[in-house]
Amino acid sequence: MHLHYTPEQEAFRAEVRAWMEAHVPKEPLVTLECKEGFDQHVEWERTLASGNWGMVTWPEAYGGRGLDLIQWLIFEEEYFRAGGPNRANQNGIFLLGPTIMEFGTEEQKKRFLTPMAKGEVIWAQAWSEPGAGSDMAAISSKAIRDGDHYVITGQKTWSSRAAFADWGFGIFRTDPESKRHKGLTFILFDLNTPGITRRPIRQLHGDTGFAELFFDEVRVPVENCLAGEGEGWNVAMATAGFERGLMLRSPGRFQVTAKRLVELYRKHEAEAAPSAREAVLQAWMAAQAYAYNTYAVAAKIMAGGKIGAEASLNKIFWSELDRSMHRTAMQLLGAHAELKRFDNGSVNQWLEGYIFSLSGPIYAGSNEVQRNITAERLLGLPRVGAG
Amino acid sequence: MDFRFTEDQLTLTESVRDYLAGTHGPEVLRRLDAATEQGNAPRDPAIWQGLVDMGLTALLVPEEHGGLGLGLVDAALIAAECGRACLAEPLVDTAFVGVPWLLAQGKSDQLAAIAAGEVKLPLPHAINPWTADGEGAAVQSVDPLRVLTQGSGPDDPHLLNLGALMSTAQLVGLADAMLAQATEYAKIRTQFGQPIGAFQAIKHQLASCAVAIEFAKPVVWRAAAAMQDGIASAPIHVSHAKVAATDAAMQTAETAIQVHGAMGYTYEVDLHFWMKRSWALAGAWGSRAFHLKRVDEAVLSGTLEIGPQSTFA
Ligand SMILES: Cc1cc2nc3c(=O)[nH]c(=O)nc-3n(C[C@H](O)[C@H](O)[C@H](O)COP(=O)(O)OP(=O)(O)OC[C@H]3O[C@@H](n4cnc5c(N)ncnc54)[C@H](O)[C@@H]3O)c2cc1C
Repeated sequence: MHLHYTPEQEAFRAEVRAWMEAHVPKEPLVTLECKEGFDQHVEWERTLASGNWGMVTWPEAYGGRGLDLIQWLIFEEEYFRAGGPNRANQNGIFLLGPTIMEFGTEEQKKRFLTPMAKGEVIWAQAWSEPGAGSDMAAISSKAIRDGDHYVITGQKTWSSRAAFADWGFGIFRTDPESKRHKGLTFILFDLNTPGITRRPIRQLHGDTGFAELFFDEVRVPVENCLAGEGEGWNVAMATAGFERGLMLRSPGRFQVTAKRLVELYRKHEAEAAPSAREAVLQAWMAAQAYAYNTYAVAAKIMAGGKIGAEASLNKIFWSELDRSMHRTAMQLLGAHAELKRFDNGSVNQWLEGYIFSLSGPIYAGSNEVQRNITAERLLGLPRVGAG
Repeated sequence: MDFRFTEDQLTLTESVRDYLAGTHGPEVLRRLDAATEQGNAPRDPAIWQGLVDMGLTALLVPEEHGGLGLGLVDAALIAAECGRACLAEPLVDTAFVGVPWLLAQGKSDQLAAIAAGEVKLPLPHAINPWTADGEGAAVQSVDPLRVLTQGSGPDDPHLLNLGALMSTAQLVGLADAMLAQATEYAKIRTQFGQPIGAFQAIKHQLASCAVAIEFAKPVVWRAAAAMQDGIASAPIHVSHAKVAATDAAMQTAETAIQVHGAMGYTYEVDLHFWMKRSWALAGAWGSRAFHLKRVDEAVLSGTLEIGPQSTFA
């Protein structure tokens, strides 16, 4: 237990800080969930790439810097300290990227990782279907082998940023006779392939942050399959582990929210309820606890360990923390909470954040499902029913 | 930067855990409790001697005084094991709170005797309205295995922080043990033709305890490291740990009794020992309110640097 940064780590922090201070947009970007905001965020991805900050932990050969997870955490802390925008390519860099790193062929790594790190190709995740949400093994969209292509037919939904993104990664049933977890295959596809129709879906806030995808005999080359045919479920579970366990939500995001909440509380202290004061302190404490835990997980992985079912604890914790921090802010704002813009014209980021925080306990595997996993895999309680 | 325990720390912790699991099970707690019915103190020289033989009283005593010279992080790990086993002997107070407190004052005359297990140190402090394992007239705790005596002491800030830190470590160990007991019970008790642990209402409550414990522990370890390194903000991290560990233990205690049904409300089922120790340690060495106020003063008045760049401030 050595909780001090080395001089090299401090120097790295200073380097990130200087770059972020010089480059992070002074005004918040328009929300990532609409076309205008998406374009601004992609522009930002390219700016990041120009400083070679796209994905610092990846090997240099794939557009990264070959840094370790502690450096990644320092990078993230400084990113959020500077008010860095949401990552347009988060499903690519945080989910698909590590998955390709683990399961991809050398050829696939070369082809997909560098453009991902550089923000040249933006990725959407296409797993959920109308009939397969929490119960992902109920996936029915088919990819039938025809020579050196798969022919995909079916429907995906809730695919974040799919209305604007370039490529998608999905899970399809390649064995039409198969049931449940078997016979599924992980396939990457160009969203502009003929036969794909995208139907944007308006989200709670009114913007089209996700989309439905319709596949009508879409031909995708066999070399776009990741890991082997029929391996889709195992690959997807590994991706979900990255998503929940470490990468998707780094602590800086919540620490900066907690800090803003402290500042908001100070402004509203006179009229704030005593319970709000405690909620603000809880926010700081929980965000710190989350950070310590992430440092512990990072150290474990650096020493060759793996993230198991405890990724579910992580996902439950950050999503419920995010929601409660924003709920507290909404309470502090009182009658201003409902305003989309404040009197000075600035966007009500707390409102936007509160709305988004309501999706945290749903996406990346609902918190009910995470509690099932915790009870069954970590505590060893009996599994009954759905399998 | 390395938020991990060393191999040595993990090995030591495991050996203490195994030792206590083997020699200090619930039947021992019941036996000690029965002794109080005969008017005897719930203490057993043989248990104490076992801890001394394990080297635990010598853990923090410097090598020149016959000790092992280990640090507060090691001690916190062992204190958590003491909580897990619901150990009642005053090991944590004497060896993990008293010894570093004496060392901080440069007092070394008692160290060799403590290491040898010949001295147990009562630690009167103004924050507590009683002294544990002290000399005065008895006061009764809800925890039948605690020996409390009348008499408070001076208001020493370092002693308070050490006492609070070690209570947080015991609390996460207690919480672990209560979660394990409730989980085991949920696997064997059947109703409606299935183990109650197959009901989601039970699963989800236990899972929520697992979340609370998982995220209280790193706060405790961080506080221990901060105290060991003597950083200026250490008291705030101790207070943070006290709130987090108290909340995790209280939530787990309430969940554990609920999962046990009426069984949990009896004196027969051992769970009550762990619950009562949790209540006691939740209040000892500064209540939740006391510690929350210290966090409040640091975070809201701006004396502590906060934000993503200040994780380890
Ligand atoms: C903002 C947002 C972005 C998303 N982005 C993507 C994306 O990019 N790509 C993608 O593929 N998907 C995406 N999703 C979809 C997401 O993965 C699903 O919403 C999620 O898996 C839950 O599925 P569902 O919505 O069908 O809910 P359902 O599965 O219908 O669940 C409804 C309710 O029932 C509960 N429930 C279901 N099963 C159980 C059970 N076994 N035990 C207890 N309770 C249960 C759930 O917890 C939930 O409360 C996104 C969702 C949101 C909200």
